[in-house]
Amino acid sequence: MTERILNILKTTPGVSDYRLNTVVTKSYELFFVHKKLETVRATDTASRNVTVYVKHGDFMGDYTFPVYVSQTDTEIADKVADAVKKAQLIDNPYYDLPAEGTLSAAADSNLESMPAEELGAKIADAAFAASCYANGSINALEVFLYRDEVSVINSRGTEKSEVRLHAMIEAIPTWNNGDESVEIYEDHRFTEFDAAAITEEIDRKMQEVRDRCFAKAPNEKLTCPVVLNAPELAYLAMDLAGELNYASVYNKTNAFAKGDSLQKNPTGDLLNITLRGRMKGSVRSALFDADGTAMTDTTVIEKGSAVGYYGASRFAQYLQLPPTGNLPCAEVNVGTLTAEELKAQPYFECISMSGLQLDIYNDYIGGEVRLAYYVDGDNKTPVTGISISGKLSDCLSEIRLSSTETVYGGYKGPDKALFTKIEIV
Amino acid sequence: MPFSEFLNSRRQDCKDLVAELSKSYSYVSILGSDVRSTAVRANRSTSAIGEGSMSECGFVITLHNGRSFFEYSLDDVQGDKKALAETILSALKVDASLEDRSIEVAKIRDEAMVKSFARDCDFDRYTDEDLLDFAKKYKDEILAADEKMLNATVAILPFTVSKLFVTKNRELDQFYSWVNILAMAVYRDGKIVSAREGTYSNLMSEAMEQFPAKIPLLVEKAKKLATAKPIVPGVYDVITDPSISGLIAHEAFGHGVEMDQFVKDRALAKQYVGDYVASPLCNMKDGAASALSTASYFFDDHGVLAHDTQIIKDGILVSGISDLVSASELGTEPTGNGRRQSYKRKAYSRMTNTFFEAGNDKLEDMIASIKHGYMLFETNNGMEDPKNWQIQCTAEYGIEIVDGKLTDNYVSPVVMSGSVPELLKSISMVSDEFKVIGSGSCGKGYKEWVRVSDGGPALKVKVKLA
Repeated sequence: MTERILNILKTTPGVSDYRLNTVVTKSYELFFVHKKLETVRATDTASRNVTVYVKHGDFMGDYTFPVYVSQTDTEIADKVADAVKKAQLIDNPYYDLPAEGTLSAAADSNLESMPAEELGAKIADAAFAASCYANGSINALEVFLYRDEVSVINSRGTEKSEVRLHAMIEAIPTWNNGDESVEIYEDHRFTEFDAAAITEEIDRKMQEVRDRCFAKAPNEKLTCPVVLNAPELAYLAMDLAGELNYASVYNKTNAFAKGDSLQKNPTGDLLNITLRGRMKGSVRSALFDADGTAMTDTTVIEKGSAVGYYGASRFAQYLQLPPTGNLPCAEVNVGTLTAEELKAQPYFECISMSGLQLDIYNDYIGGEVRLAYYVDGDNKTPVTGISISGKLSDCLSEIRLSSTETVYGGYKGPDKALFTKIEIV
Repeated sequence: MPFSEFLNSRRQDCKDLVAELSKSYSYVSILGSDVRSTAVRANRSTSAIGEGSMSECGFVITLHNGRSFFEYSLDDVQGDKKALAETILSALKVDASLEDRSIEVAKIRDEAMVKSFARDCDFDRYTDEDLLDFAKKYKDEILAADEKMLNATVAILPFTVSKLFVTKNRELDQFYSWVNILAMAVYRDGKIVSAREGTYSNLMSEAMEQFPAKIPLLVEKAKKLATAKPIVPGVYDVITDPSISGLIAHEAFGHGVEMDQFVKDRALAKQYVGDYVASPLCNMKDGAASALSTASYFFDDHGVLAHDTQIIKDGILVSGISDLVSASELGTEPTGNGRRQSYKRKAYSRMTNTFFEAGNDKLEDMIASIKHGYMLFETNNGMEDPKNWQIQCTAEYGIEIVDGKLTDNYVSPVVMSGSVPELLKSISMVSDEFKVIGSGSCGKGYKEWVRVSDGGPALKVKVKLA
């Protein structure tokens, strides 16, 4: 199929350059209702996207379209010819496609060490191993095993491929107390099978859902520092870094720019964020982006100020800056907050949120908290039915980052952060 | 525009594969999808014509024998059917340790029906050049409207859907279309803000005709949002616009009545069918046949015909919405709500067009009834919690109401949160105006995105804002 497409692209008049992005995905999926197997799924699909580039005058136009395995050579040739016409309508400033050479990389994972049906069953068993409480259970479990073979080929000699193996569990730990029943959503992604780690992760969620069951809304307004954990910090870091993407900068949609301080009059730890291509254990790791550009790790925020931009080849050329690739992972430097220092004061730790709400333009941070702990010394009281709300700029200026580190999704950095200017409502 | 030639060319292949797989399973269905979507965009510096995010072309096969369901997704069904059937059955092997842990449900009924469905579509009257010219024209108009306008984007996002559904006794096909035309303005006046407007229709001509009137509204909104301040957190009397009413319908109760959640004991609503769950003023519906909007199909991804389902009647919960699998587990009739993100994904019970029905109050009387509160506008996002009946909905902005009048005081963003029953029981007025907004997308948990619409009248509620 690839050769057929490339031959047509090479011989169609008007094509200045081309790019072919392919992802061949094989998956094996198990869906449980309580502990019963409801659905078994397997997929064997490919997505192929062709981008045709046409240089016309000082401009570069492009048009991207999918090619399906069912299409004949004549149908593909018609689509390429049509793409040439459409690309000629696009008057973007000229840019070159990256000439990145060749690469063929194997997966850095143990997920193919056994047949998929065996691994799927072992993952399910590891998750259900945590479901061993009289009042606690996993009401639903979905297991996904993916093998993605990702490749990019362009007309400038770039020919790269990488196998990415990853797995995901979606589990719903649930706790019952008489007529009351509560749950927590758990989305656990990994690239290495470790049964004990899965059980430990799900068990941690079982403890949390038990606490949520007994959590109550506070009788009076809580006025104490707020602690956010890795999921929310990952979101915060990626959102801040996203403002420094070349595309945002070129399109003037970035809320802040290089040289701007994000932490005016800082009283806490200074933010340092480096974006990376690969991070061990991260399902977002990639050696190259959609253009085939090799990932170049880039520090975008240093000592609380924006110091660098990052992004794909086209907008890098527009801004006359080096392409770094669209970096998918963020590493945040740890700070100075120790467990002992944290424990020295009462604080409110958000364990499960509906989703952190961030609005950089409107200087807002907040969200609904489904489970939190009010921690006062050795006393930990589960709390629910509350929200948090604050000015993002104030929060960044006084953020305290933990000295301990964790990996979550595409994030590596402090496992906790302390804020004194977020209101609990 | 016609039904997919590709799917037409695979009808016999589907029938042959159903016959082959029927040697191993009592129920076999094949859903073929050919969805074409385009994205035409123009902003200050760049423009683009490309494939939209919804495009897909392929097949999903469902097998059932009274125990677990099996599904296999693939790109094409051509070729040797015996070999293909062997590949499918081999890929769906289950580890021996799971064999005795299957669900057991009644076998699926396969009632005979052969039918084609189609809705008017005028997309082929417009070339990509026409669409790009339109986007550029209005992008320029927005940029020219005010010197503080940093950027403007106009995006035209049409899609057409062809689906073919084949079992031993059924052969259904459908064709329909939808387009959203969206505008975004990025404006700086002290701080940078973004504002959005849009039109939508099954007809390009209608969406284009309505779009120009949105431009002055967009520019004015951007200017006002630049003056917006954070809201002082608290519990307020609130009027919701149709977008926020729809968001409440969707997040507060829509997800809670998706009946695959009943099967998993994940929805509190299961225990409340027949009970008051909202103010007696509250009536709510969902269905692909309930309104003409972005989720108005003729049959769902399990081949079940579209329904118009009454969910809440006079404050009483009367029904949930279901897909074929959850309905078979519950022993109920499916309501035509089985939807997939694409042929590569599983179908779940999903909302379609979800809305509160209109009431009898005048919007001006509703505003006049509030001493101090806010009117909330435009969905930003929301998050469901059907098990615990908590809700979080984010509005793009609110306008303060003082002494029964809307002021010029804007607040943004506004996060509304609290208990679903408290919120719905607090509904004290329902406007006689009604609108369904057809530009939404919805995930289940944090994945499985499908197109949805929601809406309703304006509601007067009491709720916590932050």
